[in-house]
Amino acid sequence: MTIELREVLKKFGEQLVINSVSLAVEDGELFVLLGSSGSGKSTILRVIAGLVRPDSGCVLLRGSDVTQFPPQKREVGVVFQNYALFKHMTVAENIEFGLKIRKMPAAQRRHRSDELLELVGLSGLARRYPAQLSGGQSQRVALARALAYEPSVLLLDEPFGALDVKIRGKLRRSLKAIQRELGITTVLVTHDQEEAFELADRIAVVERGRIVEIGTPHQLYHSPQTEFVANFVGGGNVLFGRYNEGRVRLGSTYLPFPGDAPPHDEGAPVRMLFRPEWVIYSSDASQIEQGSLPLGKGTMRDRLFGGATEKLRFELDDLRGSQSIGLSLEYGQRGTLVDGVASSLAPDIPAIGETRWLSLKRCHVLQPTSLRILTKLEAVPIHAGLMETATHLGGASHGLLSLLSVASTKDEMSSCKDLLEDSKAAVLGARRDIRLTTRVRIGDPVVETVLESQEGYFDLVLLQRSSRNSDTVGSFPGIARHVLVSAHIPVILVSEIGSALKRVLICTAGGEPGKSDVRLAARIARHTGAFSRVFHVRRGDMSANEVARVDRHLSRAQAVLTSFGVESDVLVVEGEPLRELQKQIDGGAWDLVVIGSSSQTLPDTTAKPSFDAQVVATTSLPVLIVPTPE
Amino acid sequence: MEHWHGKNTAIQESRVIQVLLIAFTAAFLTLFLIFPLAIVFQYAFSSGIEAYWQAVTHPLTVSAMHLTLIASLSAVVCNAIFGIALAWLVTHFRFRGRQLLLTLMDIPLAVSPVVAGMVFVLLLGHHGWFGTWLDAWNMKIIFATPGIILATVFVTVPFVARELIPVMEERGATEEEAALVLGASGWQTLRLVTIPAIKWALLYGLVLCNARAMGEFGAVSVVSGHIRGRTNTMPLHIEILYNEYEFAAAFAVSSLLALLALVTLAIKRVVELRHLTGIRRGSAGSL
Repeated sequence: MTIELREVLKKFGEQLVINSVSLAVEDGELFVLLGSSGSGKSTILRVIAGLVRPDSGCVLLRGSDVTQFPPQKREVGVVFQNYALFKHMTVAENIEFGLKIRKMPAAQRRHRSDELLELVGLSGLARRYPAQLSGGQSQRVALARALAYEPSVLLLDEPFGALDVKIRGKLRRSLKAIQRELGITTVLVTHDQEEAFELADRIAVVERGRIVEIGTPHQLYHSPQTEFVANFVGGGNVLFGRYNEGRVRLGSTYLPFPGDAPPHDEGAPVRMLFRPEWVIYSSDASQIEQGSLPLGKGTMRDRLFGGATEKLRFELDDLRGSQSIGLSLEYGQRGTLVDGVASSLAPDIPAIGETRWLSLKRCHVLQPTSLRILTKLEAVPIHAGLMETATHLGGASHGLLSLLSVASTKDEMSSCKDLLEDSKAAVLGARRDIRLTTRVRIGDPVVETVLESQEGYFDLVLLQRSSRNSDTVGSFPGIARHVLVSAHIPVILVSEIGSALKRVLICTAGGEPGKSDVRLAARIARHTGAFSRVFHVRRGDMSANEVARVDRHLSRAQAVLTSFGVESDVLVVEGEPLRELQKQIDGGAWDLVVIGSSSQTLPDTTAKPSFDAQVVATTSLPVLIVPTPE
Repeated sequence: MEHWHGKNTAIQESRVIQVLLIAFTAAFLTLFLIFPLAIVFQYAFSSGIEAYWQAVTHPLTVSAMHLTLIASLSAVVCNAIFGIALAWLVTHFRFRGRQLLLTLMDIPLAVSPVVAGMVFVLLLGHHGWFGTWLDAWNMKIIFATPGIILATVFVTVPFVARELIPVMEERGATEEEAALVLGASGWQTLRLVTIPAIKWALLYGLVLCNARAMGEFGAVSVVSGHIRGRTNTMPLHIEILYNEYEFAAAFAVSSLLALLALVTLAIKRVVELRHLTGIRRGSAGSL
């Protein structure tokens, strides 16, 4: 490995520019850092070059730690964004600079610079000054200068950024050819996805100082893991559906769940990607291609001529409600928009307003990693604990945090909006890198919260507990039960105390550990870097068979946690579940208690409180309640 | 003039106004600049070439000239070093107090030179704060050459830095970064990359600094003590001659000083021209 970064972290003032970045570039590889401007990709490059010293973490070049080395000692070649040619020196003097510093005799230097000028195709320009060169020529001189003393690593910062589109294509080819010829390990920074695809052996997508995903261009295009990469790299349709008995429900359409897709729980949100060219249209349902996945009937809404291809946009009623945030609907539209593409010579491109049957060549399910969190705000007062927990969780999971306020009448709208603005400011004040949305709904708080949590495909709903902790029924708000039972979405109940969720207690006291609660707990614990304990209370009168079965379940639960990279242990005690749990909570400095919801129906007020309600009543810690499938 | 009044400029005066403005400027310059300068030379030679030669080769004049050149040279060297360092500091780093530093830099321009001279006397003079200490080490600063150099350096502090800051601000530090990555040490980078790139601005700043240093009167007058043949610079020497009614000699030395100023101006003009052509060719140094 020629270049390796280990957990590199860099702050400029308060701002985190590089957030724990680790990567390894293989020998002779052309590695591309792709990201939008301000994502921190150039800073990563400058850390490798030694021009920026990281606050923590280390940089290894050719296997040795160079973190403390100044740039002079790193033997890397750098092509800067604006080339940084020495304006008072000729082209030859520029190229020979590094050699002169290394005290190479003049004749040899001259020979080497002629060689390099030939390599980059600029023979004969040796005596020109940079001011007399075109952009493309300057770039090639910068490349020759960087290669002159035969560094083992070449770093390029947006090398084509300042050039015309036509020259860019030509220079890309020549750069790739030179890189292959010399076999030099190269890191290139760009914001241009096309450039990244054409050049890279592997691409790292950088966003807000983090590496979101690393893969070959092919992997990132055809099977990205994250929604960010799916949207950032190439055009695409990302739709939200729910996992339903081995299939994915998108609106009223069902698609088969791909065999190679990451496991999802029953009812969990599924993010489905299909690229425009995976969409096939045909004029008749009977003509849908064999083996393709029928999507439904769509109306042509828009077409854009793009030269070789034409971009098509369909609206599908059958997929209603599955729209991702990528494409927003026009006012008055209610179907879901799907982008397709056709050769501009295709004879059967539908006219706007015509309908076609759409199907898919393939579809791809994204990793269910980042959490989508809905936080329902109470009118007054805002409890700091709820906001703090939401901020911690939203920030750590790099997902989406949505704040909801429900107004019972239209008159309350403005005060709800004020509340949202204040809360938004508070969240962003604490963590600037959170993806945050706000929403006001009008109507019954319970109904609207349930609807919002379903319509927004949230993974998790954060709710404020009722304030009267002594009252068992009161501390378990009815709204939580409705979200659990009607929407089947996990709920975290938070009291006045906020939490960074660093120690998670997964309680299976009421029965066997459910798959879904362990998996969700694992996802949260991974994001917050928490330690987790799987806690089980066993009845004293269990048969050996039953004990073995429970142990098997517990070890599987721990395996899941380990697979998510979460540190964990298992603790089994005997006794009365609620009392043992109480003891465990009191003795352990826990931040979050995870339990499965035992109740499948809305509570009957006369009945004895359910186990989850009793747990909530015994502790003031945040409690995550995961609905268990029937 | 024609150049600026092309058809595409929005400002279009009538021919009459143009002529009037030119005439006014010319009259003003003649009255306040050219005429006095001519008078200086006319008076200098009023007692004949022989007397002029005697005045300018008089030992006291030669000694004053010597001291003026020493003080100017010291000011130029000190401020070249300080100016580059200061300009680099304020253009490549953002730190608390940066604005304050930029303001402080201009103090010598704002404060009357006499006050500056007084400050040095207060600090370093016989009865000054450090007076006893200096006496103990047998160091004489005030009423001696070091004092004159100090005062001259002080009044010329801003000139180099003020020329360099805009140039350095504009070019940034990427060439320096490139040099570092290519293996150059900090010193090599300064010598091979930074200084060649800023050389015309630097030279221009030094010329201005030199002109001011040679002409400085107020600050130097306070710290000098007017000891003939030892602590008299040319401006001070002229004053003494003038006060003693030796007008011809006074003007002879004045003409010498004026000549030095004219040479400086000529150098400045050449530097300016080269600097401008350099900029037009898109490269500040390729000449």
